[in-house]
Amino acid sequence: MSASHHLLRLQCVRCVSHFLGTPVRQVILPGRAHLQTPGSQHIYVQLLRPFHRSAVCSTDRQNRTDIEKLVEDETHHKDKTLVTHDDIFDRAAGDSKTKVEFNRVVDVFKSKDIRRRGHVEFIYAALKKMPEFGVECDVTVYNKLLDVFPKEVFVPQNFIQRMFNHYPRQQECGVQVLEQMENYGVMPNIETKVLLVQIFGEKSHPIRKFQRIMYWFPKFKHTNPYPVPHVLPSDPVDLAQFSLTRIAADLDAKITIYQYPSTDITETGEEITRPHIVGIQSPDQRSLLAKHNPCKPVFVEGPYPLWLRQKCVHYYLLRADPIPPEEKVEEEIDPEMICPEQSLFFPQRVELDLNVDMGDDHSFNVDEVEEGAVYAMCMAGQGDQATLSQWISGLQETCPILGQIPTVFRLESGPRELQTSTDAHQRPEQEAETDQIIEDDEEPRHSRGVKQ
Amino acid sequence: MAVSRTTLKSLYGVCGVVYRQPLLFPSSLKCASIQITRSKFERDYQRPGQPPDTRWPWQMINFDFSKGVESVRKHFGLLKDEFFQRWIGPEGKPIIEHMLEQTRVVWEFRGPESLNEWIVSSDQEIGGRSVAYVSLGKNNTTCLLYGTLSSTPPRDGETRYSGYCSMRSKPPKASFDRKKHYDWSSFNTLHLRIRGDGRPWMINVSAETYFSHQRDDIYSYFLYTRGGPYWQDVKIPFSKFFLSSRGRIQDSQHPLWLDKINTIGFTLGDKADGPFQLEIDFIGLNNDCAHTEEFAYELYKKNP
Repeated sequence: MSASHHLLRLQCVRCVSHFLGTPVRQVILPGRAHLQTPGSQHIYVQLLRPFHRSAVCSTDRQNRTDIEKLVEDETHHKDKTLVTHDDIFDRAAGDSKTKVEFNRVVDVFKSKDIRRRGHVEFIYAALKKMPEFGVECDVTVYNKLLDVFPKEVFVPQNFIQRMFNHYPRQQECGVQVLEQMENYGVMPNIETKVLLVQIFGEKSHPIRKFQRIMYWFPKFKHTNPYPVPHVLPSDPVDLAQFSLTRIAADLDAKITIYQYPSTDITETGEEITRPHIVGIQSPDQRSLLAKHNPCKPVFVEGPYPLWLRQKCVHYYLLRADPIPPEEKVEEEIDPEMICPEQSLFFPQRVELDLNVDMGDDHSFNVDEVEEGAVYAMCMAGQGDQATLSQWISGLQETCPILGQIPTVFRLESGPRELQTSTDAHQRPEQEAETDQIIEDDEEPRHSRGVKQ
Repeated sequence: MAVSRTTLKSLYGVCGVVYRQPLLFPSSLKCASIQITRSKFERDYQRPGQPPDTRWPWQMINFDFSKGVESVRKHFGLLKDEFFQRWIGPEGKPIIEHMLEQTRVVWEFRGPESLNEWIVSSDQEIGGRSVAYVSLGKNNTTCLLYGTLSSTPPRDGETRYSGYCSMRSKPPKASFDRKKHYDWSSFNTLHLRIRGDGRPWMINVSAETYFSHQRDDIYSYFLYTRGGPYWQDVKIPFSKFFLSSRGRIQDSQHPLWLDKINTIGFTLGDKADGPFQLEIDFIGLNNDCAHTEEFAYELYKKNP
């Protein structure tokens, strides 16, 4: 055995002893390599197992917990019927299904039988029950589950065993534990590796799966250019702030909280709940809105869905229809501001992109998609017109032109496409029923819906 | 067993022949039919509970005279194009343009016929409950892929996970339905203009392979969408695509060869049940000279 092998085994011994809480001397590895001299070639492998007595044989019956009694009832006193391990989890947990209860059931199984009979079925049942107990993202629970396997029994001892997929069912079970960890995105740790090496040996399928997880997970962990944290803020205002900064796509955009969520009790005893209204607008959007033609209406559209991991939030837009080409106003650009006759002292546009060569053209030969400009975005607790009118009136403080522009509400009950429907122009009658036009005149705060 | 697909056809008479048991209620007159068991590497997905498709290859051709006349005209038109296009240059483009181009638009959604090049599928094929549809966006200018995901697995005893949908391009066909490939060897970046809803998608590129065990080889990479009303330009270099087969990432990785690409696809399977949508403006290729990476993953043998 080489020196590095010694070191690995000693490290394993230390890790395992630290993990199991036993002093180093009592941890015995096959081959007793740490006692052999480095020069010896043939090691007579002798497995030493400490002698245990099964917990069932213990005479002290008064200290047994309810779960142990339950397990014993099921396995010994019943009339030899098939016992599914799922029932043990369900019955032992009772009302509260927490990590503590789950760990307790696993401990009871481990203490019941030193030979761990039926451990494969038990582990499969435990894997199925993990989401119910809420422990599917906890690596310590997976390690505890892997600890159910008896150690050193499944490690192949000679070349024939190594050739022929030693203990295939147990290896498949180990692989399934790791596969569930991979599905939930749980990163295994050093304890997992030590356990797997102890249980299955170095070149087993579970170790190979572990190696694959440890290779690919770090590579793909930071590939998202718009990362979403695992723990989203629970406060709806914070969540709205996070998602609005995400979709604004502009670092200059400023968030304004128009209303915090609150509940008021009026004199008559009625409860009025005010939802939160959080809006965002960037300086570019503000300048675009200032240039908007007051004869054309602006539309409040929504709700549009935005997914953040498993959670879906909805946002509303304030946008205008695309300007038809005949009405487009070409902005006159001062030739002194744009090259080639650009003023050197006040350059409008400086192109210092070192990636691009002189003759390079990385533009695509596609027609631009004509879409209306977006002027502002918001997220609100309720999607009804009153709340959104409050948002518009709040926006008016920074954009006074909104007072002269008619606002049309295009709200639908469920999430829909990100564009305005193509049938909008073909079905004006139906739209008149659903849309309501609001004109803010001299009273910017007070808006009344006028049905057409 | 690495047997090339062309030689497999000649080995039909040589492979093991198995006598099937006579059917109890023979609907056809084949009482003791001799069937060759094709290895499961050749067959497509077989729904649990359904008998395997043991038809002979010539039984799978269906003759249809109504399509005959139009297809004759179409195929001869394609054949004529193939003869005369090569005098202008590769794929009908002048050679100077082919040599100097740095960007190319491969798929652009500007009309209803652009949707005919794409196949949309969801886990309805394995018995799941997700739905996926494709339609044109506003003014017939963009492609909208929308639907609902549901990750309840089908109850067939075999399937454990479910809840995916995908949109895949049809493989290009030359005249008389011969296989043709895309040649993207002068580019190194994939450029997409999309508008998603924050969900993480996956781009799958499938190239032409030689051996039968490579039939499900797909080169994939993630497509993270930001969400929101603004378009998102996504640039993914081809050196980032990793090799996977049947959904499992492979240990031995190699870079994607761009000279014979068959299909590109988008798939979603992020275990979040609910509606989804993805809007695609165009799919293009870019030759980014600043990107010098050949391959992003290690090439050494990973399980010695």
